[in-house]
Amino acid sequence: MRIGIDVGGTHTDAVVMNGNDVLATFKALTSADVKTGIVESLDAVMARASLNAADITAVMIGTTQFTNAVIERRELSPTAIIRACLPTGTGIPPMCDWPEDIAAELGNNEYRVFGGHIFDGSEIHALDEDQIRQVAQDIQGKGIKAIAVAAAFSPMEHAHEFRIGEIVRELIPDANITLSHEIGRLGIIERENAALLNAALGDLATRVINSMSEALNERDLHCPFYISQNDGTLMAADFIARYPALTFASGPTNSLRGAAVLSGIDDAIVVDIGGTTSDVGVLAGGFPRESNSYVDVGGVRTNFRMPDIMAVGLGGGSLVNDDGSQIGPKSVGHRLVTEGLVFGGKQLTSTDIIVASGAQEVGNPEHVKHLSADLIETATQTIHRIVDDAIDKMRPSEEPVPIILVGGGSILITRNLSTASQLICPQHAEVANAVGAAIAPAGGEVESVVSYSKISREDAIAEATQEAEKKAIAAGADPDRLRVLDIEENPMSYMADNAVKLRVKVVGELVQGKLS
Amino acid sequence: MSKISAEQIEDLCAGAAFLATGGGGDPYVSQLLAVRLLDEHGPATLMSVNDIPDDFTVLAIGMVGAPTVTLEQLPTLDESVKAFDAYQEYTGKQIDAVIPFEVGGGNSTIPLAVAAMRNVPCIDGDGMGRALPEAQMMTFPIYGAHPTPAVLTDSWGNSAVLHSNDALTFEKHIRAMAIAMGGMITSAEHCMDGALARRATVPGTISFAVSLGKLLRQHDGMIDAIEPQLYELFKKSDYGTIKKLYSGKVIDSKRQIVDGYDVGTATLQSFDNNLDPMTLLIKNEYLVASIGDKVVTSVPDLICIVEQETSRPLNAERMRYGQRVTVFGVGCTEHYRSPEALKVTSPRAFGFDIDHVPLSEIE
Repeated sequence: MRIGIDVGGTHTDAVVMNGNDVLATFKALTSADVKTGIVESLDAVMARASLNAADITAVMIGTTQFTNAVIERRELSPTAIIRACLPTGTGIPPMCDWPEDIAAELGNNEYRVFGGHIFDGSEIHALDEDQIRQVAQDIQGKGIKAIAVAAAFSPMEHAHEFRIGEIVRELIPDANITLSHEIGRLGIIERENAALLNAALGDLATRVINSMSEALNERDLHCPFYISQNDGTLMAADFIARYPALTFASGPTNSLRGAAVLSGIDDAIVVDIGGTTSDVGVLAGGFPRESNSYVDVGGVRTNFRMPDIMAVGLGGGSLVNDDGSQIGPKSVGHRLVTEGLVFGGKQLTSTDIIVASGAQEVGNPEHVKHLSADLIETATQTIHRIVDDAIDKMRPSEEPVPIILVGGGSILITRNLSTASQLICPQHAEVANAVGAAIAPAGGEVESVVSYSKISREDAIAEATQEAEKKAIAAGADPDRLRVLDIEENPMSYMADNAVKLRVKVVGELVQGKLS
Repeated sequence: MSKISAEQIEDLCAGAAFLATGGGGDPYVSQLLAVRLLDEHGPATLMSVNDIPDDFTVLAIGMVGAPTVTLEQLPTLDESVKAFDAYQEYTGKQIDAVIPFEVGGGNSTIPLAVAAMRNVPCIDGDGMGRALPEAQMMTFPIYGAHPTPAVLTDSWGNSAVLHSNDALTFEKHIRAMAIAMGGMITSAEHCMDGALARRATVPGTISFAVSLGKLLRQHDGMIDAIEPQLYELFKKSDYGTIKKLYSGKVIDSKRQIVDGYDVGTATLQSFDNNLDPMTLLIKNEYLVASIGDKVVTSVPDLICIVEQETSRPLNAERMRYGQRVTVFGVGCTEHYRSPEALKVTSPRAFGFDIDHVPLSEIE
């Protein structure tokens, strides 16, 4: 039995699951103190499922705390960056494109040293170990413990980042060091930024993990616990103190993954209809389709793995115009329960239309009796057209696709959608996030530049797959239940020797009770 | 003469990405570098093509290599200006102005940085009016400029001088040198006198890219909303023709490396399903667009693709399954309508068995 908890900005959801079956659910407003909220959730779901601590084999937690810390510029530690790139790279200093307020939180502690590699794996320059020791002494003198290390082409050649990390640690044994290749992809600006944010979140991560551990201990839950990442996989909780930045955007990912399990469908489009917007995402093989371009986190450019989500302005609180031909993007949002007609308010919303049509019972239907049949019909068509258009733009091919509806606003959909091969409103859709956290597998990903002139394509993919499998096993996956989730090849323009950017992602079910 | 300041660089880069027709690499790195240099050295002076004096010596400058390399191996601060200095030192010539060889992508910003640092004007124009993959496709050699002597510099401070007999040979040499010098180099080349530069330059493209980028960036929303402004901008420019060719999503994208180029096809499916799929033929840039069997735009006319929801130009290397895009055809500038230019830039020059029909003549 597993417990999944999703600590969102507004709500905390919790579920108990046995395999893919939901045994109990709980939803509450997120508490100011994380520990109290988690204890409350644990108590509620375990009581509802009549379980003891001994029945629980693992606890999975999804959290937006680290994303919020970056966005709100709080609880970030002073952080140093050491970039190995000299004699190249002087034109673009680290953090040069950061918003001033967040750059000030981390401080101006930028160092560039000799080192790094070029595209063919040879060195830009040999490391100058004395220079690195001097840098480490300077950092030590400032009392800084959070340190990011980035070297050119480190995703394909890690040696310099490793060595710099070793030298720094000799001098500052309790340093919290992030090596950029461990969390980012090709693109040194974005990867270095990711490493900086990750290092800056280290202290907060330690505190968050400790308070989560305390919450579990208070309820005698001594099973391992895991944190969900933005690619839909899990990491063991003790990893998160080192890689908190990998939790960015794990919320939408969990929602998509949860929808897959609740509906039993792995290839579908998920429409999460809230009060103001509908988020449309694509499930391919049970995982979110990822956005390919760079991702802005609190104004900082990164290249984290994030789900590709399209938001359209339709929700339960969306305002309806006089003849029903236009709905949204303006919305009363969470004030629907006071401002919507069926709740005695004065605003005509999409929810009022659906109640007036007789398809749903919410609030007081007497308040919408005066709406004309024409208005109701036109507005109902508009609602379905907006969702249909959004799905059409996201669906991978022209074939109708299964549509999974989740979120409080999903009651708006009362008719068939032309884009849908089937329309599914799974039970427990309101806690899809927590379900997604509870059922996530462990994963490993490898990205490198290979030359198909020097190694055959088959061998290159096999080697990368083996590396990714090792990473997945290290993250807690069962070696006997691994599968390749994605292979991506991008040729590098202009290069004569068939250089290709190759990325392989492997996932695997968790070894029960394993703590890696 | 006008000025280009650091504040305008982001607009320039957005416009340059549109004109890059899918190639030219991610302009972010060169944008950051140019912003920094212009902040430090003050704005660059922009000189109109018509104002270039006969006795001026104009030098083309830019980067050559794999754009992906610059994502990791970031440029040095003085790399481009070193090529400029080394050129003067080697040839003994005094350079009066610099000019970009391609407006498309990151190469639009390099000469502006050099201009600001060495206090010479940058010509408001370029040798392509777009992005193209090879040196002999530039208007400079097509209209009589000799590519060499060319001075190449790398990030380590190494330099090399090339003497090549013709533009095709130059292209072979510089490609080999780029790989030997770390994958990305700066090249100072195609030195021209004022009269030749006036004749061989696609005029006004830098200031045009700034206006175009400003429109795209200020909007930052659905492309449909700014189509009228976009059409107006192109129609009163030297490009003249612009047509919306297609609106749909990417349903297939395959590429492979052939002879050091990124070659492939992409297929788009229209949203309303009343059109046949669009096929794009790619060699670094989008070169031929067809709907069903009918070619609707071919090189040297421009095929420009933007992401529908953001109006951001979409590079071929970022194109993938499921993206929602709008495709525009844009007429090439006058310089590419001559037989000499079409001989080295029409679809047949890229090995496609397709005749070029100007965009303005396609129904």
